[in-house]
Amino acid sequence: MSRFPSVDWFDEVRAVFNADDSYRGAGGGTCNCTAGMKIGDDIFVLTFEGIECSRAVVADEAALDDVDFYLDMPRGDWLEMVKNIAANGSADLHHTLNTLDLDREDGLATSHHGDQYREDLFFRYNQTLQFFFNASARIKSEYA
Amino acid sequence: MSESSAKESPAEKAEAPKFQPKYNWMNKTRSWGMRALPGKAGLKLGDLNMGIYGEIPMHWDDQSRNPRGAVPRRGMPPVGYAIRDKGGLWADCAADLYEEAIQRRWAPATDVPWDSIEPLPDDVEHAVCQVCTELTQYANVDIETITGWQHQMSYGYHEVKQYLATATFDAARHYECFRKRALVNGGGLGLEGPGQVNRMILESRGGWTEAVVYLFLVRGVFTMTLYRYLGRYAHNDAERFIYGHALADKARHVTYALDHLKFALAHVEDQQLVTATLLAIGDNGLARDLRDPVLKEALAIIFGGGIDGARQQGMEVYHALMRDYVDTHLAYCRWLDIPRNPAALPPPLNEYVDAPADV
Repeated sequence: MSRFPSVDWFDEVRAVFNADDSYRGAGGGTCNCTAGMKIGDDIFVLTFEGIECSRAVVADEAALDDVDFYLDMPRGDWLEMVKNIAANGSADLHHTLNTLDLDREDGLATSHHGDQYREDLFFRYNQTLQFFFNASARIKSEYA
Repeated sequence: MSESSAKESPAEKAEAPKFQPKYNWMNKTRSWGMRALPGKAGLKLGDLNMGIYGEIPMHWDDQSRNPRGAVPRRGMPPVGYAIRDKGGLWADCAADLYEEAIQRRWAPATDVPWDSIEPLPDDVEHAVCQVCTELTQYANVDIETITGWQHQMSYGYHEVKQYLATATFDAARHYECFRKRALVNGGGLGLEGPGQVNRMILESRGGWTEAVVYLFLVRGVFTMTLYRYLGRYAHNDAERFIYGHALADKARHVTYALDHLKFALAHVEDQQLVTATLLAIGDNGLARDLRDPVLKEALAIIFGGGIDGARQQGMEVYHALMRDYVDTHLAYCRWLDIPRNPAALPPPLNEYVDAPADV
Protein backbone atom coordinates (compact mmCIF):
# COMPACT_ATOMS: atom_id res chain seq x y z
CA MET A 1 0.00 0.00 0.00
CA SER A 2 1.36 3.42 -0.93
CA ARG A 3 0.49 6.85 0.29
CA PHE A 4 -0.87 9.44 -2.11
CA PRO A 5 0.94 11.63 -3.04
CA SER A 6 4.41 10.07 -3.15
CA VAL A 7 6.88 8.68 -5.66
CA ASP A 8 6.07 5.19 -4.37
CA TRP A 9 2.41 5.76 -5.21
CA PHE A 10 3.20 6.98 -8.72
CA ASP A 11 5.63 4.06 -9.19
CA GLU A 12 2.92 1.57 -8.27
CA VAL A 13 0.52 3.22 -10.71
CA ARG A 14 3.25 3.20 -13.36
CA ALA A 15 3.74 -0.53 -12.89
CA VAL A 16 0.03 -1.20 -13.47
CA PHE A 17 -0.18 1.26 -16.37
CA ASN A 18 2.94 0.00 -18.14
CA ALA A 19 1.90 -3.65 -17.87
CA ASP A 20 -1.60 -3.32 -19.32
CA ASP A 21 -1.84 -3.53 -23.11
CA SER A 22 -5.44 -2.33 -23.06
CA TYR A 23 -4.21 1.20 -22.34
CA ARG A 24 -2.35 1.20 -25.67
CA GLY A 25 -5.15 0.48 -28.10
CA ALA A 26 -8.26 2.35 -29.15
CA GLY A 27 -6.78 5.81 -29.19
CA GLY A 28 -4.34 5.34 -26.31
CA GLY A 29 -0.72 4.54 -26.98
CA THR A 30 2.38 6.50 -27.79
CA CYS A 31 2.77 9.45 -25.51
CA ASN A 32 5.90 11.58 -25.34
CA CYS A 33 5.83 14.35 -22.78
CA THR A 34 6.93 15.46 -19.35
CA ALA A 35 4.00 16.32 -17.13
CA GLY A 36 4.19 18.04 -13.77
CA MET A 37 1.74 17.25 -10.96
CA LYS A 38 1.31 20.05 -8.47
CA ILE A 39 -0.54 18.55 -5.55
CA GLY A 40 -0.91 21.37 -3.08
CA ASP A 41 2.70 22.13 -2.15
CA ASP A 42 4.03 18.78 -3.39
CA ILE A 43 5.37 18.58 -6.91
CA PHE A 44 6.13 15.49 -8.98
CA VAL A 45 7.27 15.14 -12.56
CA LEU A 46 6.17 12.19 -14.69
CA THR A 47 7.97 11.27 -17.89
CA PHE A 48 6.03 9.49 -20.62
CA GLU A 49 8.10 7.86 -23.36
CA GLY A 50 6.57 5.79 -26.14
CA ILE A 51 4.00 3.51 -24.59
CA GLU A 52 5.29 3.78 -21.03
CA CYS A 53 5.41 6.14 -18.13
CA SER A 54 9.13 5.74 -17.58
CA ARG A 55 9.79 7.85 -14.50
CA ALA A 56 8.24 9.65 -11.57
CA VAL A 57 10.34 11.97 -9.43
CA VAL A 58 9.85 14.51 -6.69
CA ALA A 59 10.53 17.99 -7.97
CA ASP A 60 10.42 21.61 -6.95
CA GLU A 61 8.69 24.68 -8.35
CA ALA A 62 11.64 25.44 -10.66
CA ALA A 63 11.24 22.05 -12.34
CA LEU A 64 7.84 23.16 -13.59
CA ASP A 65 9.65 25.57 -15.94
CA ASP A 66 10.83 22.58 -17.95
CA VAL A 67 7.77 20.36 -18.13
CA ASP A 68 5.48 20.47 -21.16
CA PHE A 69 2.51 21.23 -18.91
CA TYR A 70 1.51 20.61 -15.32
CA LEU A 71 -1.73 19.78 -13.54
CA ASP A 72 -2.36 22.11 -10.64
CA MET A 73 -5.00 21.59 -7.94
CA PRO A 74 -5.19 22.01 -4.18
CA ARG A 75 -4.42 18.82 -2.30
CA GLY A 76 -8.07 18.35 -1.33
CA ASP A 77 -9.19 18.37 -4.97
CA TRP A 78 -6.52 15.84 -5.92
CA LEU A 79 -7.64 13.61 -3.07
CA GLU A 80 -11.23 13.85 -4.22
CA MET A 81 -10.20 12.86 -7.74
CA VAL A 82 -8.10 9.83 -6.80
CA LYS A 83 -10.67 8.67 -4.24
CA ASN A 84 -13.38 8.95 -6.88
CA ILE A 85 -11.28 6.84 -9.23
CA ALA A 86 -10.64 4.27 -6.51
CA ALA A 87 -14.35 4.06 -5.72
CA ASN A 88 -15.56 3.75 -9.31
CA GLY A 89 -12.70 1.92 -11.03
CA SER A 90 -12.21 4.99 -13.24
CA ALA A 91 -13.07 8.67 -13.02
CA ASP A 92 -16.76 9.45 -13.17
CA LEU A 93 -17.94 12.25 -15.43
CA HIS A 94 -17.35 14.90 -12.74
CA HIS A 95 -13.76 13.87 -12.06
CA THR A 96 -12.16 13.34 -15.46
CA LEU A 97 -9.15 15.49 -16.31
CA ASN A 98 -11.21 17.17 -19.04
CA THR A 99 -14.04 18.01 -16.65
CA LEU A 100 -11.70 19.33 -13.98
CA ASP A 101 -9.92 21.46 -16.57
CA LEU A 102 -13.24 22.96 -17.72
CA ASP A 103 -14.95 23.32 -14.36
CA ARG A 104 -12.15 24.87 -12.36
CA GLU A 105 -11.86 28.65 -12.40
CA ASP A 106 -8.17 28.52 -13.34
CA GLY A 107 -8.36 25.26 -15.26
CA LEU A 108 -6.26 22.22 -14.44
CA ALA A 109 -3.51 22.08 -17.07
CA THR A 110 -1.16 25.01 -17.34
CA SER A 111 2.50 25.89 -17.88
CA HIS A 112 5.09 28.45 -16.92
CA HIS A 113 6.35 28.88 -20.46
CA GLY A 114 3.01 29.60 -22.13
CA ASP A 115 4.09 27.64 -25.21
CA GLN A 116 0.78 26.64 -26.81
CA TYR A 117 2.44 23.90 -28.80
CA ARG A 118 3.62 22.16 -25.62
CA GLU A 119 0.55 22.96 -23.55
CA ASP A 120 -1.65 21.29 -26.16
CA LEU A 121 0.05 17.96 -25.46
CA PHE A 122 -2.47 17.80 -22.60
CA PHE A 123 -5.24 17.51 -25.21
CA ARG A 124 -3.33 15.21 -27.56
CA TYR A 125 -2.54 12.80 -24.71
CA ASN A 126 -5.59 13.39 -22.56
CA GLN A 127 -6.83 9.82 -22.95
CA THR A 128 -3.47 8.36 -21.98
CA LEU A 129 -3.23 10.61 -18.93
CA GLN A 130 -6.76 9.59 -17.95
CA PHE A 131 -5.83 5.92 -18.40
CA PHE A 132 -2.81 6.53 -16.18
CA PHE A 133 -4.84 7.94 -13.31
CA ASN A 134 -7.58 5.36 -13.83
CA ALA A 135 -4.91 2.69 -13.31
CA SER A 136 -4.60 3.97 -9.74
CA ALA A 137 -7.92 2.26 -8.99
CA ARG A 138 -6.03 -1.02 -9.18
CA ILE A 139 -3.55 -0.29 -6.40
CA LYS A 140 -4.17 0.01 -2.69
CA SER A 141 -3.79 3.61 -1.59
CA GLU A 142 -3.73 5.49 1.62
CA TYR A 143 -4.22 9.20 1.61
CA ALA A 144 -2.15 11.84 3.34
CA MET B 1 2.03 -23.45 -89.69
CA SER B 2 2.13 -27.13 -88.80
CA GLU B 3 2.38 -28.27 -85.22
CA SER B 4 5.82 -29.70 -85.80
CA SER B 5 7.25 -26.49 -87.30
CA ALA B 6 5.89 -24.42 -84.38
CA LYS B 7 8.10 -26.29 -81.95
CA GLU B 8 11.72 -25.21 -81.64
CA SER B 9 14.41 -27.78 -81.78
CA PRO B 10 16.98 -27.78 -78.94
CA ALA B 11 19.51 -26.31 -81.33
CA GLU B 12 17.21 -23.46 -82.34
CA LYS B 13 16.47 -22.78 -78.66
CA ALA B 14 20.13 -22.41 -77.90
CA GLU B 15 20.54 -19.93 -80.73
CA ALA B 16 17.61 -17.69 -79.69
CA PRO B 17 18.72 -14.30 -78.30
CA LYS B 18 18.69 -14.36 -74.52
CA PHE B 19 17.62 -11.55 -72.22
CA GLN B 20 20.87 -10.02 -71.10
CA PRO B 21 20.35 -8.08 -67.86
CA LYS B 22 22.69 -5.14 -67.45
CA TYR B 23 21.77 -4.15 -63.88
CA ASN B 24 22.96 -0.66 -64.62
CA TRP B 25 20.13 0.76 -62.47
CA MET B 26 21.93 -0.66 -59.49
CA ASN B 27 24.36 2.23 -59.23
CA LYS B 28 21.54 4.76 -59.35
CA THR B 29 21.50 5.43 -55.65
CA ARG B 30 22.96 8.25 -53.68
CA SER B 31 23.64 6.85 -50.26
CA TRP B 32 24.41 3.15 -50.56
CA GLY B 33 25.49 1.74 -47.20
CA MET B 34 23.76 4.32 -45.02
CA ARG B 35 21.36 2.62 -42.61
CA ALA B 36 18.37 4.03 -40.77
CA LEU B 37 18.34 2.65 -37.24
CA PRO B 38 15.22 2.05 -35.19
CA GLY B 39 15.01 3.84 -31.85
CA LYS B 40 13.17 2.98 -28.66
CA ALA B 41 9.83 3.69 -30.33
CA GLY B 42 10.63 1.69 -33.49
CA LEU B 43 11.74 2.93 -36.90
CA LYS B 44 9.93 6.23 -37.23
CA LEU B 45 9.39 8.36 -40.30
CA GLY B 46 11.61 11.09 -38.89
CA ASP B 47 14.43 8.57 -38.30
CA LEU B 48 14.84 8.33 -42.09
CA ASN B 49 15.86 11.97 -42.38
CA MET B 50 19.60 11.40 -42.41
CA GLY B 51 22.22 12.41 -44.95
CA ILE B 52 20.78 13.47 -48.26
CA TYR B 53 17.40 12.05 -47.28
CA GLY B 54 17.15 14.65 -44.56
CA GLU B 55 17.88 17.55 -46.89
CA ILE B 56 14.59 19.39 -47.18
CA PRO B 57 15.10 22.47 -49.34
CA MET B 58 13.11 25.68 -49.13
CA HIS B 59 11.98 25.19 -52.75
CA TRP B 60 11.34 21.88 -54.46
CA ASP B 61 12.21 22.18 -58.16
CA ASP B 62 11.31 18.66 -59.20
CA GLN B 63 7.83 18.58 -60.73
CA SER B 64 7.58 14.81 -60.92
CA ARG B 65 6.56 12.20 -58.36
CA ASN B 66 10.20 11.43 -57.69
CA PRO B 67 10.55 10.50 -54.01
CA ARG B 68 12.90 12.83 -52.13
CA GLY B 69 16.43 11.42 -52.36
CA ALA B 70 15.80 9.14 -55.37
CA VAL B 71 17.65 9.59 -58.65
CA PRO B 72 15.40 11.40 -61.13
CA ARG B 73 14.58 9.82 -64.46
CA ARG B 74 15.16 12.12 -67.41
CA GLY B 75 12.26 13.13 -69.59
CA MET B 76 9.52 12.74 -66.99
CA PRO B 77 6.60 15.06 -67.80
CA PRO B 78 5.81 17.57 -65.03
CA VAL B 79 2.84 16.80 -62.81
CA GLY B 80 2.18 20.46 -62.09
CA TYR B 81 2.33 20.70 -58.32
CA ALA B 82 1.19 24.11 -57.16
CA ILE B 83 2.81 24.00 -53.71
CA ARG B 84 6.56 23.70 -54.11
CA ASP B 85 7.74 26.18 -51.46
CA LYS B 86 8.45 24.84 -48.00
CA GLY B 87 6.87 27.95 -46.51
CA GLY B 88 3.55 26.94 -48.05
CA LEU B 89 3.04 23.74 -46.08
CA TRP B 90 5.93 22.76 -43.84
CA ALA B 91 5.72 21.89 -40.14
CA ASP B 92 8.68 20.31 -38.32
CA CYS B 93 6.31 18.17 -36.28
CA ALA B 94 4.63 16.53 -39.29
CA ALA B 95 6.62 13.27 -39.21
CA ASP B 96 6.02 12.83 -35.48
CA LEU B 97 2.32 13.67 -35.83
CA TYR B 98 2.05 11.07 -38.58
CA GLU B 99 3.49 8.40 -36.29
CA GLU B 100 1.28 9.54 -33.43
CA ALA B 101 -1.86 9.44 -35.57
CA ILE B 102 -1.09 5.95 -36.82
CA GLN B 103 -0.27 4.69 -33.37
CA ARG B 104 -3.25 6.28 -31.61
CA ARG B 105 -5.87 5.28 -34.17
CA TRP B 106 -9.25 3.99 -33.06
CA ALA B 107 -12.14 2.22 -34.74
CA PRO B 108 -15.63 3.62 -34.10
CA ALA B 109 -17.35 0.35 -35.05
CA THR B 110 -15.75 -1.71 -32.32
CA ASP B 111 -13.94 0.59 -29.89
CA VAL B 112 -16.88 2.83 -29.01
CA PRO B 113 -19.06 1.15 -26.34
CA TRP B 114 -22.27 1.63 -28.33
CA ASP B 115 -24.26 -0.57 -25.97
CA SER B 116 -23.82 2.01 -23.21
CA ILE B 117 -26.30 4.27 -25.02
CA GLU B 118 -29.76 4.20 -23.50
CA PRO B 119 -32.93 6.08 -24.44
CA LEU B 120 -32.79 9.80 -23.67
CA PRO B 121 -35.68 12.28 -23.32
CA ASP B 122 -36.83 13.35 -26.78
CA ASP B 123 -35.65 16.95 -26.44
CA VAL B 124 -32.16 15.84 -25.42
CA GLU B 125 -31.95 13.22 -28.16
CA HIS B 126 -33.07 15.82 -30.73
CA ALA B 127 -30.32 18.13 -29.50
CA VAL B 128 -27.61 15.46 -29.56
CA CYS B 129 -28.64 14.49 -33.10
CA GLN B 130 -28.63 18.12 -34.23
CA VAL B 131 -25.13 18.69 -32.87
CA CYS B 132 -23.92 15.44 -34.45
CA THR B 133 -25.40 16.54 -37.78
CA GLU B 134 -23.34 19.73 -37.71
CA LEU B 135 -20.21 17.91 -36.53
CA THR B 136 -20.64 15.48 -39.41
CA GLN B 137 -20.67 18.44 -41.78
CA TYR B 138 -17.53 19.85 -40.17
CA ALA B 139 -15.77 16.52 -40.67
CA ASN B 140 -16.84 16.37 -44.28
CA VAL B 141 -15.38 19.81 -44.87
CA ASP B 142 -12.10 18.64 -43.30
CA ILE B 143 -11.99 15.71 -45.72
CA GLU B 144 -12.80 17.72 -48.83
CA THR B 145 -10.48 20.59 -47.96
CA ILE B 146 -7.42 18.52 -47.09
CA THR B 147 -7.75 16.19 -50.06
CA GLY B 148 -8.41 19.18 -52.32
CA TRP B 149 -4.98 20.59 -51.47
CA GLN B 150 -2.99 17.46 -50.79
CA HIS B 151 -2.50 16.47 -54.42
CA GLN B 152 -1.07 19.92 -55.10
CA MET B 153 1.76 19.43 -52.59
CA SER B 154 5.06 18.34 -54.05
CA TYR B 155 6.75 15.12 -53.01
CA GLY B 156 9.74 16.94 -51.57
CA TYR B 157 7.69 17.48 -48.44
CA HIS B 158 6.32 13.98 -48.09
CA GLU B 159 6.13 14.15 -44.27
CA VAL B 160 3.38 16.76 -44.54
CA LYS B 161 1.53 14.83 -47.25
CA GLN B 162 1.65 11.71 -45.13
CA TYR B 163 0.52 13.46 -41.96
CA LEU B 164 -2.36 15.10 -43.81
CA ALA B 165 -3.40 11.67 -45.08
CA THR B 166 -3.91 10.66 -41.46
CA ALA B 167 -5.77 13.92 -40.77
CA THR B 168 -8.13 13.06 -43.61
CA PHE B 169 -8.64 9.64 -42.11
CA ASP B 170 -9.27 11.22 -38.70
CA ALA B 171 -11.96 13.35 -40.32
CA ALA B 172 -13.48 10.31 -42.02
CA ARG B 173 -13.61 8.62 -38.62
CA HIS B 174 -15.31 11.68 -37.12
CA TYR B 175 -17.83 11.74 -39.96
CA GLU B 176 -18.51 8.08 -39.30
CA CYS B 177 -18.90 8.23 -35.52
CA PHE B 178 -21.08 11.35 -35.39
CA ARG B 179 -23.36 9.91 -38.05
CA LYS B 180 -23.51 6.68 -36.10
CA ARG B 181 -24.30 8.50 -32.87
CA ALA B 182 -27.14 10.35 -34.59
CA LEU B 183 -28.63 7.13 -35.93
CA VAL B 184 -27.96 4.69 -33.11
CA ASN B 185 -30.60 5.89 -30.65
CA GLY B 186 -33.60 6.43 -32.88
CA GLY B 187 -33.14 10.15 -33.47
CA GLY B 188 -31.45 10.38 -36.83
CA LEU B 189 -29.88 13.36 -38.54
CA GLY B 190 -31.26 16.85 -37.98
CA LEU B 191 -31.16 20.14 -39.84
CA GLU B 192 -28.25 21.07 -42.08
CA GLY B 193 -26.05 23.78 -40.51
CA PRO B 194 -25.84 27.31 -41.95
CA GLY B 195 -22.47 26.55 -43.53
CA GLN B 196 -20.92 30.02 -43.96
CA VAL B 197 -17.62 28.76 -42.53
CA ASN B 198 -17.86 25.55 -44.54
CA ARG B 199 -18.15 27.55 -47.75
CA MET B 200 -15.38 29.94 -46.70
CA ILE B 201 -12.99 27.05 -46.04
CA LEU B 202 -13.88 25.08 -49.16
CA GLU B 203 -13.74 28.08 -51.45
CA SER B 204 -10.48 29.56 -50.17
CA ARG B 205 -8.07 29.74 -53.08
CA GLY B 206 -5.15 31.70 -51.66
CA GLY B 207 -3.02 28.67 -50.88
CA TRP B 208 -2.82 25.89 -48.33
CA THR B 209 -1.69 28.27 -45.58
CA GLU B 210 -4.90 30.25 -46.02
CA ALA B 211 -6.91 27.03 -45.81
CA VAL B 212 -5.00 26.12 -42.62
CA VAL B 213 -5.99 29.42 -41.03
CA TYR B 214 -9.68 28.86 -41.75
CA LEU B 215 -9.79 25.10 -41.30
CA PHE B 216 -7.77 24.76 -38.11
CA LEU B 217 -7.23 28.12 -36.43
CA VAL B 218 -10.88 29.19 -36.79
CA ARG B 219 -13.03 26.08 -37.28
CA GLY B 220 -10.58 23.62 -35.70
CA VAL B 221 -10.21 25.48 -32.42
CA PHE B 222 -13.99 25.98 -32.27
CA THR B 223 -14.54 22.26 -32.88
CA MET B 224 -11.97 21.36 -30.25
CA THR B 225 -13.83 23.49 -27.74
CA LEU B 226 -17.12 21.83 -28.68
CA TYR B 227 -15.61 18.37 -28.19
CA ARG B 228 -14.32 19.31 -24.74
CA TYR B 229 -17.70 20.57 -23.56
CA LEU B 230 -19.67 17.76 -25.18
CA GLY B 231 -17.33 15.29 -23.46
CA ARG B 232 -17.98 17.08 -20.18
CA TYR B 233 -21.75 16.76 -20.65
CA ALA B 234 -21.76 13.29 -22.24
CA HIS B 235 -24.75 11.10 -21.46
CA ASN B 236 -22.99 7.75 -21.59
CA ASP B 237 -19.62 6.05 -22.04
CA ALA B 238 -20.03 5.96 -25.82
CA GLU B 239 -20.29 9.75 -26.05
CA ARG B 240 -17.42 10.19 -23.59
CA PHE B 241 -15.28 7.92 -25.73
CA ILE B 242 -16.21 9.63 -28.99
CA TYR B 243 -15.64 13.20 -27.82
CA GLY B 244 -12.48 12.33 -25.88
CA HIS B 245 -10.87 10.59 -28.82
CA ALA B 246 -12.06 13.09 -31.41
CA LEU B 247 -10.51 15.78 -29.21
CA ALA B 248 -7.10 14.08 -29.34
CA ASP B 249 -7.35 13.81 -33.14
CA LYS B 250 -8.37 17.44 -33.48
CA ALA B 251 -5.57 18.55 -31.15
CA ARG B 252 -3.09 16.99 -33.59
CA HIS B 253 -4.65 18.95 -36.44
CA VAL B 254 -4.31 22.17 -34.48
CA THR B 255 -0.73 21.30 -33.53
CA TYR B 256 0.14 20.90 -37.21
CA ALA B 257 -1.54 24.23 -37.93
CA LEU B 258 0.34 26.09 -35.20
CA ASP B 259 3.68 24.61 -36.25
CA HIS B 260 3.04 25.32 -39.93
CA LEU B 261 1.91 28.88 -39.27
CA LYS B 262 5.00 29.50 -37.10
CA PHE B 263 7.15 28.32 -40.00
CA ALA B 264 5.23 30.29 -42.60
CA LEU B 265 5.32 33.46 -40.50
CA ALA B 266 9.08 33.13 -40.15
CA HIS B 267 9.80 32.42 -43.83
CA VAL B 268 7.10 33.96 -46.00
CA GLU B 269 7.13 37.68 -46.56
CA ASP B 270 4.10 39.57 -45.24
CA GLN B 271 2.56 36.37 -43.90
CA GLN B 272 1.92 37.94 -40.50
CA LEU B 273 -0.37 40.66 -41.84
CA VAL B 274 -1.91 38.35 -44.41
CA THR B 275 -2.80 35.92 -41.62
CA ALA B 276 -4.29 38.75 -39.54
CA THR B 277 -6.45 39.73 -42.53
CA LEU B 278 -7.53 36.13 -43.09
CA LEU B 279 -8.46 35.79 -39.44
CA ALA B 280 -10.62 38.91 -39.62
CA ILE B 281 -12.45 37.34 -42.57
CA GLY B 282 -12.65 34.02 -40.73
CA ASP B 283 -14.10 35.66 -37.62
CA ASN B 284 -16.85 37.20 -39.71
CA GLY B 285 -17.73 33.86 -41.26
CA LEU B 286 -17.88 32.19 -37.87
CA ALA B 287 -19.89 35.07 -36.40
CA ARG B 288 -22.49 34.71 -39.17
CA ASP B 289 -22.80 30.99 -38.43
CA LEU B 290 -23.13 31.68 -34.71
CA ARG B 291 -26.02 34.09 -35.28
CA ASP B 292 -28.02 31.10 -36.49
CA PRO B 293 -29.74 29.86 -33.30
CA VAL B 294 -29.88 26.13 -34.07
CA LEU B 295 -26.49 25.00 -32.79
CA LYS B 296 -26.67 27.30 -29.78
CA GLU B 297 -30.10 26.01 -28.76
CA ALA B 298 -29.13 22.37 -29.25
CA LEU B 299 -25.98 22.82 -27.17
CA ALA B 300 -27.90 24.62 -24.43
CA ILE B 301 -30.38 21.73 -24.24
CA ILE B 302 -27.52 19.24 -23.88
CA PHE B 303 -25.76 21.36 -21.25
CA GLY B 304 -28.99 22.06 -19.38
CA GLY B 305 -30.29 18.49 -19.49
CA GLY B 306 -33.39 19.44 -21.48
CA ILE B 307 -35.43 22.39 -22.72
CA ASP B 308 -36.29 23.53 -19.20
CA GLY B 309 -32.67 23.57 -18.11
CA ALA B 310 -31.49 25.10 -21.38
CA ARG B 311 -32.82 28.56 -20.59
CA GLN B 312 -30.64 29.13 -17.54
CA GLN B 313 -27.94 26.55 -16.89
CA GLY B 314 -27.66 25.47 -20.50
CA MET B 315 -27.10 28.99 -21.77
CA GLU B 316 -24.63 29.73 -18.97
CA VAL B 317 -22.54 26.75 -20.05
CA TYR B 318 -22.89 27.79 -23.70
CA HIS B 319 -21.52 31.24 -22.82
CA ALA B 320 -18.66 29.61 -20.91
CA LEU B 321 -17.91 27.52 -24.00
CA MET B 322 -17.83 30.62 -26.17
CA ARG B 323 -15.56 32.45 -23.71
CA ASP B 324 -13.20 29.48 -23.74
CA TYR B 325 -13.21 29.42 -27.53
CA VAL B 326 -12.42 33.13 -27.83
CA ASP B 327 -9.75 32.91 -25.09
CA THR B 328 -8.08 29.92 -26.71
CA HIS B 329 -8.25 31.37 -30.21
CA LEU B 330 -6.73 34.67 -29.09
CA ALA B 331 -4.06 32.87 -27.05
CA TYR B 332 -3.01 30.99 -30.17
CA CYS B 333 -2.87 34.26 -32.10
CA ARG B 334 -0.70 35.83 -29.39
CA TRP B 335 1.62 32.81 -29.43
CA LEU B 336 1.91 33.12 -33.20
CA ASP B 337 2.50 36.86 -32.81
CA ILE B 338 -0.39 37.71 -35.09
CA PRO B 339 -1.76 41.16 -34.28
CA ARG B 340 -5.41 40.99 -33.23
CA ASN B 341 -7.72 43.52 -31.71
CA PRO B 342 -10.18 41.56 -29.56
CA ALA B 343 -12.44 44.59 -29.25
CA ALA B 344 -12.88 44.55 -33.01
CA LEU B 345 -14.20 40.99 -33.14
CA PRO B 346 -17.62 40.89 -34.79
CA PRO B 347 -20.70 40.20 -32.65
CA PRO B 348 -21.42 37.83 -31.03
CA LEU B 349 -17.72 36.93 -30.64
CA ASN B 350 -16.90 40.31 -29.07
CA GLU B 351 -19.34 39.57 -26.25
CA TYR B 352 -16.99 36.87 -25.02
CA VAL B 353 -13.79 38.88 -24.88
CA ASP B 354 -12.54 39.41 -21.37
CA ALA B 355 -8.89 40.03 -22.12
CA PRO B 356 -7.54 43.54 -22.71
CA ALA B 357 -6.81 44.51 -26.29
CA ASP B 358 -3.33 43.32 -27.26
CA VAL B 359 -2.80 45.70 -30.14
